[in-house]
Amino acid sequence: MSLDGGRIIFALPNKGRMRDPALTLLESAGIKGIGEERAYLSKTTDPSIDLLSVRAADIPVYVYYGIADLGITGRDIVAETGLEVYELVDLGFGCCDLVVAVDRESGISNPSEIPHGSKVATEFPNITKAYFDELGIQVETITLKGAVEIAPRLGLATAIVDISSTGATLEKNRLVAVGKVMSSSARLICNKIAYKTKYDKVETITNKLKGLSP
Amino acid sequence: MLASKAKDEGRLCYITNCIRYLESRNLSLREYWQAGAELIGGERVGADAEAVALALEMLDSVGIRASVDLGSMGVIRKLMEKYRIRDYKRLVRAIASKSIDDLRKVTCDRDALEVFTILMTKRGRADLIKAVDERAGCLEEERVYFEGIYRALEAYGCASRVFVDLSTIREMAYYNGLVFEIFTPGMGLPIGGGGRYDAMMKDFGIDTTATGFALSIDLCIKAIGVADNSKNNDTLKVYYEEGFREKAIGLARLLREKGRCCTLDVYRGERSGILVGERAVVIGSGEEYEP
Repeated sequence: MSLDGGRIIFALPNKGRMRDPALTLLESAGIKGIGEERAYLSKTTDPSIDLLSVRAADIPVYVYYGIADLGITGRDIVAETGLEVYELVDLGFGCCDLVVAVDRESGISNPSEIPHGSKVATEFPNITKAYFDELGIQVETITLKGAVEIAPRLGLATAIVDISSTGATLEKNRLVAVGKVMSSSARLICNKIAYKTKYDKVETITNKLKGLSP
Repeated sequence: MLASKAKDEGRLCYITNCIRYLESRNLSLREYWQAGAELIGGERVGADAEAVALALEMLDSVGIRASVDLGSMGVIRKLMEKYRIRDYKRLVRAIASKSIDDLRKVTCDRDALEVFTILMTKRGRADLIKAVDERAGCLEEERVYFEGIYRALEAYGCASRVFVDLSTIREMAYYNGLVFEIFTPGMGLPIGGGGRYDAMMKDFGIDTTATGFALSIDLCIKAIGVADNSKNNDTLKVYYEEGFREKAIGLARLLREKGRCCTLDVYRGERSGILVGERAVVIGSGEEYEP
């Protein structure tokens, strides 16, 4: 249930690459947080909107269960959770690709060349499993919570599935991208019931953010 | 409504524990408590309207003021055919998440994009089908059907609580016509849903129509709690000092006989309620309380 039936609870990443652009976008739309910056829940300049600051990876969960009505998080994160939420606007920032990468000396030039039974390290185990299932390759997915790029060099995995925006981190770790799993960017997501029960307010916010997005 | 005498119709209902297979990544429960009603046979418009009206009436009877959004698997399939879209799974995913970005990956056809964008972004009544049909030109049957549904729902007195949102999609693949979701403010998830599943009956060797719905009892219980909280919870708290438990129980019985909800607890310095000691006193006001 929502924390307050009449208000909009808007979930934003509390850190990471999407936080600052998300805050800037909301400020342009006239929604500015008031109070302590590190607070999980805070009021805004719009008295009908409160901000909930939580991890980007958790935002689809808060929105799916209706604790938050709206949220900003990555398309990749929404896909990984598999939770049903509305994706109302592509906000145009936080752009990156989710790629399959291997050691550049491995001789593998295409994901379909990754041998059956290989280990694949990733922060996105569900997307990874679905991707390799579709390719018809059975792999062992190893879930890591960060520094995934080091896994092939240390012999933990043959390949990784990870986000890449410039390719610099892959390059630094002697990896090469051999396939794109999906493209991602920041999305405005909405709880399905809030969309219906708070339609006017959700539409107003959505239209403002649409107008500000590229 | 369940007591039909029509010979070719069957009306079934249940309240039971249901089991479903879910992948381990799924957060939902595999066993859940559900109430449902099915109408086998009958005329489509009348039966679908009856199912929707019965669901709302059931919820009204337990104090849950709910609304319904209608969708149509028939509309989606006809539009797929018209615009020659083959990837059903990706299309349904795009529609269900209202993601125009995903829709663009399914079709590049400008007319299809325009029609599906209306379908995914607009919410209204029967006239929404008309608006989609004016562009697509293949939904005459659905337009007539939805107009009929709304006339029937008017007669049931619940049309004002029923909307058309064509992005409403049920996960079960057996639905072939109307689908609907039931929701109530304050709950983040639909509390129920249903739809038409004629094709499934054929799998059982019965050539007949069928419609029905299910309500999540677990979510309904939560929704009743939300509705009660929104009424500022009028449960009266009765606190007693040491040695006055029995006197407090007597007072609580009297209050309950008069229709007041009340709870009993030992006094720990609470700020509101009735304190039972030498005298029963309304805390804060100091007034003596006489039930």
